[in-house]
Amino acid sequence: MPMRDRSKLPLRPVAPVWAMMAGLALLSACKQPPASRIDADAAAAARGLSAMETVGCGACHEIPGLDWPKGRTAPSLVGFDDIGPIAGQLANTPANLAAFVRNAPAAKPGSLMPAMPLSESEARDVAAYLYRIDDD
Amino acid sequence: MKSETGFDHALYDLFPVREPRPEGEVEELNRIWAAPRGWGLMTVVNNNYIGFFYVAAAFLFFLLAGILALGMRIQLAAPLQEFLPQGTYNQFFTMHGTIMMFLFAVPAVEAIGILLLPQMLAARDLPFPRLSAYAFWAYLVGGLFFFASLFVGLAPDGGWFMYPPLTSITYSPGINTDFWLLGIGFIEISAIAGAVEIIVGVLRTRAPGMTLDRMPMFAWAMLVFAVMIVIAFPSVILGTLLLEIERAFNWPFFDPTRGGDPLLWQHLFWFFGHPEVYIIFLPAAGLMSMMVATVARTPLVGYRLNVLALVATGFISFGVWAHHMFATDMPRVSAGYFSAASMAVSLPAGIQVFCWIATLASGKIRWSTPALFVVGSIVLFTMGGLTGVMLGMVPFNWQVHDTYFIVAHLHYVLLGGMVFPMFAAFYYWNGMTSRNPLSERLGKWVFWLMFTGLNVTFLPMHLTGFMGMPRRVYTYLPDRGLDVLNLTSTVGAFILAAGIALFLIDLARNFRFTTEHDAGNIYGGGTLEWLPTGLYSTRSIPLVRSREPLWDDPRMCEDVAEGRYFLPNSATGLRETIITSPVNAEPQYLQLMPGPSPFPVAAAIFTAFFFLSLTIQAYSFAVFSGIVATLCVLRWLWETDRPIHITEAEIGGGITIPIAITGPTSHGWWALNTMMAVIGMIALMGLFSHLYLYGIHPEVWIAPPGLAQTAGIAGVLALAFLSALASRRVLAGHDAGTFPGQGPWLLTVLGAGLLAGALYWDVTGWQAAGLSPAASGQGATVFALLAFQGCLVAVAIIMAGYLGYRSGRGLLTPPANVTLDVVVRFIGFASLQGAVISLLPRIFPGG
Amino acid sequence: MLEPLWGWPPPVLDPAGPYAEKVTVLAWALFAMGLLVTGVVIVALWVAIKGPPWIKSKLGGEKVVWIGGVAFPAVVLTILLVWGLTLTASLTQGITGKETRIRVTGEMWWFRVQYLGPNGEVILNDANEIHLPVGEPVVLELRSADVIHSFWVPHLSGKKDMIPGRKLFLRVQADKAGRYGGVCAEYCGGPHALMGFVAVAHERAAWEGWLAERHAAQAAAPAGPAMPGRRIFLESGCGACHRVAGTEANGLIGPDLTHVGSRLTLGAGILPNNHGTLMGWIGDSQSIKPGNRMPSYSMLPAEKLDAIADWLGRQK
Repeated sequence: MPMRDRSKLPLRPVAPVWAMMAGLALLSACKQPPASRIDADAAAAARGLSAMETVGCGACHEIPGLDWPKGRTAPSLVGFDDIGPIAGQLANTPANLAAFVRNAPAAKPGSLMPAMPLSESEARDVAAYLYRIDDD
Repeated sequence: MKSETGFDHALYDLFPVREPRPEGEVEELNRIWAAPRGWGLMTVVNNNYIGFFYVAAAFLFFLLAGILALGMRIQLAAPLQEFLPQGTYNQFFTMHGTIMMFLFAVPAVEAIGILLLPQMLAARDLPFPRLSAYAFWAYLVGGLFFFASLFVGLAPDGGWFMYPPLTSITYSPGINTDFWLLGIGFIEISAIAGAVEIIVGVLRTRAPGMTLDRMPMFAWAMLVFAVMIVIAFPSVILGTLLLEIERAFNWPFFDPTRGGDPLLWQHLFWFFGHPEVYIIFLPAAGLMSMMVATVARTPLVGYRLNVLALVATGFISFGVWAHHMFATDMPRVSAGYFSAASMAVSLPAGIQVFCWIATLASGKIRWSTPALFVVGSIVLFTMGGLTGVMLGMVPFNWQVHDTYFIVAHLHYVLLGGMVFPMFAAFYYWNGMTSRNPLSERLGKWVFWLMFTGLNVTFLPMHLTGFMGMPRRVYTYLPDRGLDVLNLTSTVGAFILAAGIALFLIDLARNFRFTTEHDAGNIYGGGTLEWLPTGLYSTRSIPLVRSREPLWDDPRMCEDVAEGRYFLPNSATGLRETIITSPVNAEPQYLQLMPGPSPFPVAAAIFTAFFFLSLTIQAYSFAVFSGIVATLCVLRWLWETDRPIHITEAEIGGGITIPIAITGPTSHGWWALNTMMAVIGMIALMGLFSHLYLYGIHPEVWIAPPGLAQTAGIAGVLALAFLSALASRRVLAGHDAGTFPGQGPWLLTVLGAGLLAGALYWDVTGWQAAGLSPAASGQGATVFALLAFQGCLVAVAIIMAGYLGYRSGRGLLTPPANVTLDVVVRFIGFASLQGAVISLLPRIFPGG
Repeated sequence: MLEPLWGWPPPVLDPAGPYAEKVTVLAWALFAMGLLVTGVVIVALWVAIKGPPWIKSKLGGEKVVWIGGVAFPAVVLTILLVWGLTLTASLTQGITGKETRIRVTGEMWWFRVQYLGPNGEVILNDANEIHLPVGEPVVLELRSADVIHSFWVPHLSGKKDMIPGRKLFLRVQADKAGRYGGVCAEYCGGPHALMGFVAVAHERAAWEGWLAERHAAQAAAPAGPAMPGRRIFLESGCGACHRVAGTEANGLIGPDLTHVGSRLTLGAGILPNNHGTLMGWIGDSQSIKPGNRMPSYSMLPAEKLDAIADWLGRQK
């Protein structure tokens, strides 16, 4: 259970450290995220954040823009714009991400993340928000 | 002036003496008072060293607890920070409070007293130098062990007030809580030892002519301080004993299911805890009064009012403890009483503040670092005092109690009322112990950084409290408007810390410890500590004719150094000081003082081991350490009651006084009285606990054993009392120089044995009546009282044995002997106290 | 999102009921007094140090001490004391016994709430939420199940401790319908910082409706009787600590979950209540509120968490 195990470490890398490391990496490599990600619709992203608040994603994830709760059961989403494949397996596309946040076990069998009560459009909004996270 | 002791005041006119003193006297004084060198310095007992070590150790604990505070402020700088995990934070705030209150504040003022008082009173040393050394080493070793518990995650985490049942074995099963009780145990020992030292020192070792009305204000403050310790500390001593017994043996003092009550702890703790605040504040106020006079270059306005204020504060402070408990739902009348008393205690504080202001107005201030700290302290203390008045208002208290408003209040009071005066004192009296003065330039920076930092840290906390932020929280949720205020407080804490760091730099650059070539009277003080001194204090002990003798008699320094006053030499070739009468300070007799010895420090270290191994449950090592510590104490006492071959000495001007007397005028008599007051207070608080629990849960009470048995026990105790008295009678019946036989010490053995017998009868009687200590609040308190009596009996037996050994060595000299006197009076006291402890629970409440 | 129910503006100065309001007036007066006296002392200090000689000579005597240090404070303190004692008396008026009575028990680290009937019998079990009717005093019977806690809703009244072995009474009254935050104010170990609750004031009729609704729910079978979440909830042993009326789950150690779906918060006033937070709390409450008494059910797979949360969310 690699995801849960992280929460058992006594000292977890703290969000700002991650952000800083990501920032340093960017400075050195000048890597730009794919255009499709940052161009996500701002209104959709705002709806996505409020949907995440409503269904309580924060109970397990630390999510930039969500003050509380900041759960530690699942990976932090700080620096999400810089991650590779979703959950380590799925190609990092908006459609895949939307499907994953809505019903993770269906998108990736064996996932520890439960399905969330999000409509398809809400899931797209959530994905839009996640892609707009910019901690650099 | 009327003579107090029959000493003719006309003799004072002989001083300063005009005839030159013989050569070599100063060299002899230097030789007699020389401090051991190298590792031998561990055995030093002189107040110049012990006082300095003591201040340094207290300051170390101040820094350590301050670092903990910075950790806490980082954690609270933003909501939901993860700098300190919950458990660690809880340990941090518990240790911060405990160390600041117990290991810094009380020892620091006591340490300053030990360092300054002998010089201020122009005594050669405090009357019991070895006791000071013991108290210091026990405190240092114990305190360091206590602090080290943090590094292994075993530090206490129940708050500095340790409220049960949170601290009971059920909810705090680890030994963390026991470490708290351990740490407190040391400070209890050293505080009591210091109190004995200071009471006797202030009342009996003042320079001739220094009547109570001419005493430096700090000496007055320390006298009140020491008396308050004697009354207040027994309450916390008893409380910690009861809590430890409940944890270790399951006796239900605080467990409501078996007739205990959690509020009993709060009463015991705050009966100590609130006077504690004044115990810390009064000595600092005494320092303030002296420094204000010097920086304003004029005598203190309202000297007598100020003394009155000190004494009144002491009295009233014992009537305010329950204002920490308004939220526990007390009857309206009690709440009203405690509210009124809490208001009343601000009157003497107001008197002092206006005395200082009036003094500044009547003189002309010379700006210096101490002046800045003094003025800053007045402002800060006033602010803290005013929030204190607010808190005395019951309805307001219900709202802000246990919020950050309280945190703000107490830090203004303690930093403004104690830490700022202490820093002023560091600069002001630095000239007594350092070769170089501290930097005035850096000092001004230190002040402004500390003053700014304090306000930036604690002013916003008034508001966070109003916003609803409770105390003792390791984190808080976002979106409540608390973020900016808390961040501000954190920034302020670091500004305050920067000020203190700068002070450390100043110390590193300029402070060089010395006992002889000191920087001297930089700020122009007028009291005796600014006379030229060596390790023996002043060469001759001046006659004091006013409150600021150095201002009034410009030639005094020279006269003192040339030996034109009392005791310009060593009259006996030993360490000695003049004991004077308590009111008018008329010379009474010459006390011989002990020199360096390894036994106080060894006793202290083994006392520390004893408590430590009890805490970590290494019981066999605890027994071993306890025995070694006891032997060390006896060995150290062995040397202190030496047979004297000369009985009188000349102390200058042709005046002769006796040497080393016994009886009610002796300083040892006063010290034992003080000790007995402490023991009696512990018993009194124990009886209070007993009756209190009866008031709360009478339903678990059983009927006491029959009256016949009770009368029998009283009879045995009466016999013990009589046999102790008889022992002294027998010794007094012999002429000096003859062998008193075995009678005196055997009678004390009989007395101790009777005490033990009465106790055995008492315990078995209760057991036969069906009382068991773990069963009910009644059983717990009755057996706790008897266990306490058991400790006294054990001490009495050891004392009687020790007396027998001395008798065998021919050291029991008729017609009067200090050791026998102590043993006899202790056994007499133990039988009287035993009678009260035994009779009260048996007669009332009658089941 | 979790409503920040206290914070800015400071609830002590923003009262919602008569008891808190009286203290607010007092608080402002005390501020004024504090500012005034601080001002007097600072001005006196300034004059004492920098003032012209003729004022300094007036300040530099014992008369000033008698006026500033004795007479002035004595007058101010006496006035305050009379006010304070009168106010204390009026705030601790006797309880008539006709008030609505709610028993609140402090537990490590949450609040058990029981609504009492006219004869002191428990008519409804709840947790971390206190519903009161507006405009009338409500008597809270404060108890503790373990260590000392302290009950505080700053908008409504001062605080009162919850002490093992004792039963203390606190009157509160809200004059405006609304939600008010509450906290435990006495350090009670571990996650004391995360022990809160919500007081909800309703108009009298709405409050009676709220109570009646809950009674109806108690009598009826629990929602979603056939849902898999119910089975998993019971199989996972949740019933050992929690009660859901109408099921075999009748544990009394933890909060009663009969109405958990309608609560405003989870985890004792610290989490918003929704599907995700319910799952997150069940799955790993220890990462949200370290040290709390509920173990993290991290062994439950995602589907089961989902199902339990789904079912619990329907228990309104």
